[in-house]
Amino acid sequence: MVETLARGGTVTASGLADQLPITRQAVAKHLSALRGADLVTSTRVGRETRYELRPQPLDEAAQWIQTVSAEWDDRLDSLRRSIEKRAGRSK
Amino acid sequence: MKLRNEAPARQPDEKTPWVERETLVEASPDEVWEALTDEDRLEEWLAPDVELDPTEGGEIVVRDGEDERFGTVETVEEAERFAFTWSRPGEDESFVEFTIEALPGGSRVTVVETPTRSAASNTAAGSTAMAAGGWGPRLARLQRSMRFALVA
Repeated sequence: MVETLARGGTVTASGLADQLPITRQAVAKHLSALRGADLVTSTRVGRETRYELRPQPLDEAAQWIQTVSAEWDDRLDSLRRSIEKRAGRSK
Repeated sequence: MKLRNEAPARQPDEKTPWVERETLVEASPDEVWEALTDEDRLEEWLAPDVELDPTEGGEIVVRDGEDERFGTVETVEEAERFAFTWSRPGEDESFVEFTIEALPGGSRVTVVETPTRSAASNTAAGSTAMAAGGWGPRLARLQRSMRFALVA
């Protein structure tokens, strides 16, 4: 399904079901899982919803966010302790 | 797996990863400012070896053993905002910005780190090329893992 999405630009759920050997219901379920994982975006065009693969290396972006967040949590904790230690001394 | 953080209004581009963290400190913005912009103070919390010229366009070098980052100071607004870019040799550059906000009895220090425009556009261009037909290894890997997760 990801392969079909990557080929097709934007597609509708029924358009996907036509191209894949699975039911429309199964397509909807998979699309919802992909949306939940931020791998697919949806836009409403008139009465239909069109889906598009987010064309970015998500695994790497998510990894980067996780690593950098943890680094700053540690550093900010050290920053706070360093400042408060000094403030405490001068009181 | 969330690509958005709590402050989407400040996010320059939803396809760019973005990290924002904050801490509350029992000290005035001036005290925080000193800890952020003085070389010796930075060595107390950021890395064992820091060189900093705290003026716009000045150099920053952050060393922790073998790990080295080099960058340029971008913004110096005393006791309010301090920003620089940094990168490890051969790796993408990112932008780091501290903001200090006075609170009753202390300060809030917020840091944002995000890949710089050039690093982000490299990534976007590569992904567009992949989506346009060439099956890059990343997308192939993604495809394999998703097929496994959803169909297995």
